Amino acid sequence: MTTIHLPHGGIVLLVGPSNTGKTTLLNQLIQEEQILASEVVSSDQFRVLVSDIEFISWNGRPKDESEALFQEYQQISSAAFDAMDYVISKRCQLNKLTFIDATHLREEEHDKYLEMGKKYHIPVIAMVLNISETELLRRDMERTFPRGRNRIKQQYQHFKNTLRFIKKKPYRRVYMLGEDELQVLNVKRLEHPLYIDVENGIDFIGDIHGCFEEFLEILIKLGYKEDDEGYYIHPEGRKILSLGDVLSRGPRSIQTLQFFHKHVTAGHAYMIDSNHGWKIARWLDGKNVKLAHGDENVAAEFEEYEQKYGSEANQVLKEQIKELLLEAKSHYIIQKNGVNAVVAVHAGIKDHYIGKQSHQISDFCRYGDSEGLDEYGKPIRKDWSISHKSSELILWGHDPKPQPLLVNNTLNIDQGVVFGGSLTAYRYPERQFVSVIAKQDYANVPDNPLKEWERKRLAPPNIMKFLDGYSVLTEQYGEIMIYDDGVKPALDDLSHYTVPLEEIVYLPPTMSPTPKTSRLEGYLEHPMEAFDYYQANGVETMVVEKKHMGSRGILFLFRNKDIAKEYIGRETLGTIYTRTGRAFFQKELQDQIVSVLNEDLVKSGYFEKYNTDFVLLDAEILPWNLKAKDLILNQYAHVGETALLDRKKLKDLLQQAFESGRDVLNWIQEVDAGIENAEVFNEVYQKYCWETEGLNGIQIAPFHTLAHSSETFFDKPHTWHMEKNKEFSEISRLFLETEYLIVQDEASMKGAIDWWEEITEDGHEGFVVKPVSYVTRHRGKLLQPAIKVRGRKYLHIIYGIDYLLPDNLSRLKKRNAGKKQRNALKEFSLGVEAVNRFVKRESLERVHECVLGILALEAEPIDPRL
Amino acid sequence: MQLSLTVRGSNADVVSYLIAKNPNNPYERDEKGFKVRLVYPKFSKEEIQFVIYVKPDPIDLVRNSSDLYDITHYINDREFAVSSLFITTIRKALGTALNGKPDEEYLEWVGHEFEIELSFGPVATDLSDKEIADLFEPIGYRVEVERGVSTIREVSSARYVTLSGRQSVQNALKHISILIPVIDNYKHYFLDEREVEKLDRYGEGWLEDHPLKQLIVKRALRFNALISQSQFYEKKQRNSGYDESPKVRLNDLRYEHILNYIKTLPEKETIVDLGAGEGRLSVQLGFLEGAKEILSIEPSNKSRIRAIERFQQVNTNEGYVEPQSLSGSLFYFDSRLQNKDVIVLCEVIEHIEEDRLPKIFDTILNDYCPKTLIVTTPNQEYNVLYEMDDEMRHDDHRFEWTRAQFVQNVESWTEQTPYQVSIQGIGEEHEAYGHPTQMAIFRREGE
Repeated sequence: MTTIHLPHGGIVLLVGPSNTGKTTLLNQLIQEEQILASEVVSSDQFRVLVSDIEFISWNGRPKDESEALFQEYQQISSAAFDAMDYVISKRCQLNKLTFIDATHLREEEHDKYLEMGKKYHIPVIAMVLNISETELLRRDMERTFPRGRNRIKQQYQHFKNTLRFIKKKPYRRVYMLGEDELQVLNVKRLEHPLYIDVENGIDFIGDIHGCFEEFLEILIKLGYKEDDEGYYIHPEGRKILSLGDVLSRGPRSIQTLQFFHKHVTAGHAYMIDSNHGWKIARWLDGKNVKLAHGDENVAAEFEEYEQKYGSEANQVLKEQIKELLLEAKSHYIIQKNGVNAVVAVHAGIKDHYIGKQSHQISDFCRYGDSEGLDEYGKPIRKDWSISHKSSELILWGHDPKPQPLLVNNTLNIDQGVVFGGSLTAYRYPERQFVSVIAKQDYANVPDNPLKEWERKRLAPPNIMKFLDGYSVLTEQYGEIMIYDDGVKPALDDLSHYTVPLEEIVYLPPTMSPTPKTSRLEGYLEHPMEAFDYYQANGVETMVVEKKHMGSRGILFLFRNKDIAKEYIGRETLGTIYTRTGRAFFQKELQDQIVSVLNEDLVKSGYFEKYNTDFVLLDAEILPWNLKAKDLILNQYAHVGETALLDRKKLKDLLQQAFESGRDVLNWIQEVDAGIENAEVFNEVYQKYCWETEGLNGIQIAPFHTLAHSSETFFDKPHTWHMEKNKEFSEISRLFLETEYLIVQDEASMKGAIDWWEEITEDGHEGFVVKPVSYVTRHRGKLLQPAIKVRGRKYLHIIYGIDYLLPDNLSRLKKRNAGKKQRNALKEFSLGVEAVNRFVKRESLERVHECVLGILALEAEPIDPRL
Repeated sequence: MQLSLTVRGSNADVVSYLIAKNPNNPYERDEKGFKVRLVYPKFSKEEIQFVIYVKPDPIDLVRNSSDLYDITHYINDREFAVSSLFITTIRKALGTALNGKPDEEYLEWVGHEFEIELSFGPVATDLSDKEIADLFEPIGYRVEVERGVSTIREVSSARYVTLSGRQSVQNALKHISILIPVIDNYKHYFLDEREVEKLDRYGEGWLEDHPLKQLIVKRALRFNALISQSQFYEKKQRNSGYDESPKVRLNDLRYEHILNYIKTLPEKETIVDLGAGEGRLSVQLGFLEGAKEILSIEPSNKSRIRAIERFQQVNTNEGYVEPQSLSGSLFYFDSRLQNKDVIVLCEVIEHIEEDRLPKIFDTILNDYCPKTLIVTTPNQEYNVLYEMDDEMRHDDHRFEWTRAQFVQNVESWTEQTPYQVSIQGIGEEHEAYGHPTQMAIFRREGE
């Protein structure tokens, strides 16, 4: 009995002259529900689809007619094949199985489909129906549209030729089916070998490289327990999935391989194909390969094994290992509820390779995208991850990074255990990391990739990447274009005025005012519009924080001087910089402040308590005049005093004119209102100014705790950040507590509005409304991280002394905050990205591209009053 | 912005005819969207006072300007301070008086000198009260300057000026038509030839002999091209030594020294002027014999634009290789600067924080690998010979080193590099303090 093994996706070419029973066979399989009707395409079917005609007979017609009919038939056939091939190629692209029901007697037809299989990385199989000529002729007589004796005979001649060449074609399999075989045909559909259901959870393990001790340690940490038969079993039924390179370089490759052989065979684990694995597989297979880069250690281990257990045992082991390695799949797709969730691969993959198998794909998955060799003969790795668009998380190893690196929904979990780094496990679907630190640097090579990475981490960024504009791929916003118009002034700033690039690991985003102006008369901005915006976007809980009127400052505070060098390449207790990256204070004052803060933090045990080397804070620093003294005196005080002088003088003169009987009452009323406005103006800016002496008078309100050395806090709600704010205010007298309210219903909303009215009437700037989550989306769309609502009085110093005059206000209400909002989202996403990258110890260049992007966006022309 | 004129004495009431404004009716006109108003607070035969003021539309005022994206553009004194905008706006209302063309029967009063008191303000100016007085006193006024009230500082910057003296109404208005814009810091409109004509017309009869004539012309017209067109312009034969400060001479000496040194080098085809500023050195490098490529690297766009102009102005000369101005920065890696013959850092490093220098020299010496690197920087010891008010020679200098400090740093940068360093001095040598400028030459060994 012949069994036909059908792959999950691919092309099955039926081969045989008319009347061999191709259609009959396929119909039977459909009826038996072995295959789907939609999996079959036939030239007959497409002839009807394109022309409504199934068959044309030109037998027995006069010559001129038969020629015309023949031509028509050719035309129809050609169109039908084009359409059919198009459909087949689309099915191939989607990794579907397709049976092609046509005679396939010409060699070029075979080549065409084999080429298609290659292009789409799917197998092509031939099923040849080999029926005798006599039988074919007999069957033709019984047809509704007999093809005719001559045509059958002619086709049979072609078929005999086909039988000769078909053996040489690179088919995955060729099934030869005579009349007997066709009587009892068994069809078996192979399961898709690359799909795995997540079931009870999977623990993905990065490159082990024979670090068997660390591997066992991580299994214990993950909760696996060794049973009596030596299997490591998880009580919850979780499975192990290795991303490959379990061997080479390290001390105990054979034991690790034996572990996987045992566990893979028993169905407790999976192991993916990889470059080192493939090399050893071919070596075991007797291929002529040169063992280097730690593969020679594996050979040495086998020799040792042979000495210990004899050559027979060694041979058995070698066979087992060879089989394990040769059978390893290029990648796996992990499904959750039938949906693709994770792709596990060793070195990299392209989206259209996912779920398919071919030599080319296997090679790519083993080595990643390689772009030739560098001057030292090492491959220059191209970044395949940037083109990843589909929704699966791609887990990979191969290229050791100091920390798990998430870039564009691809996650590298090779932390170079064999190079003295650590072994990482990624628990899915929990999305948690578990790691074990290497006992030592086993590889002991001069170009240790982790050290190399660390050495290059703070290398100056390549300016050529930025000069003509560039784009940053952010987790929150996707790709953000940064144009050269903005890059140039930003580079100018960074070259002249800012603190060193290494220290700018975050810049705060611009903040939008209410998207719509107030519907109330006499108000330009009002909290209602901010609440409206968030509620309309599905946000139920909001946090409103008092907006301190000072200047934005970023505080980057280290546990001690030495530790800072490791992070930013300079010994310092910390640095405080403005929203444009410039030093906030003169050097002496900064040193004073930073050392007081350091003392207070150390004394309170902050760094120990949170096991962190630094804390990164986003804050408002008061008073306003610390940073803005010149602006206040030359601009605000000057304008306010000038206005008041002008109006008071005028008032006296007009009053006199009025008393002399001139009709200027309107003018007097006007100037009276003007005097009042000017007085409000003068009162407002002075509210934010006070004398400071040394540290006295300086207040710092940290409203975002951005990061510690091993984590960022963008996943924490603002209520958490406010608790941190309180915690800091108790640690140092320099830190100021920020008042806030939570808004989640009518009553709390009314309370918040009353509060706003009260503080703004008192001259305070206003408050900031935030959705409770730091990063908030609605239907996939990122929402404003914060909206400022500024008070009526305060806005005098923004929109002018007389902005509230009805005629002025009605015009000012037509403002458009669209661009401000867009830039706020971009800058926010870039800021989050920068800190995340920094904490993951990515290169300065990768952090800096975000920071430079924020400065470049800030250089764009936007109404500064928004 | 306002101006009030008080006239006392017999026939004071004639002034209403000179300005052609009815004392009983408040006057209000629209002038290019601004309101111009005039009213008489006092009116009798012996004493009259009129005030004229302009009310601009504050929102209109800030439209259509090049600095729309700066907050100070929206909060400024233009709405209040007297300025050329004020003068232009009231000119029509006071045209009769300014031009001296009242009804015929009052023509004789045009030149009549009354006892007047003229107040205007507020003024926004960088001039001191004394300087303001110096503008008016020579033409027959007593000057009083009053300050506004400030609650945030001791002295307010808002000022109000009152002039008194015997003047004809026409002359008084001519004086302030010229001098208010001169006092004011700011011009709201584009200046063109009409300004010259206006200055000549209103200045007639008093500006010619004014002791501050040149200052007035300069501040009224601002641009040399306009100033030289005025009839009041006088070419000054300035002592040529005046401009030539020792600093300027030192600059030239430095360029000369660097060029002379490069001339002696066997390899000088490709030269990089790193931190080129406005390209003064780059352009001279362009004339160096044997040079084939000059890269002039500078992060500031403003400076680069000036540099490019400079490079093109000499474009026609023979033996000139036009430098390429490129945007670049010492804090980044720039592959365009690799493997050049010469890199020059002329008076650049002292503008960079000291602790950032090791990384920069690491990049230059180990990644760019020039055959020769030339670095100049001030010699701090020499400063005692300058009469300096500040600690350093330039506001933006982050440090100035002694000779020993320079040597020490140079040695630390070249550790474990294939560079040999020699140090020279530039400028007049002092036996105790050395040269004003110090120069280090780094040569790649074996080259």
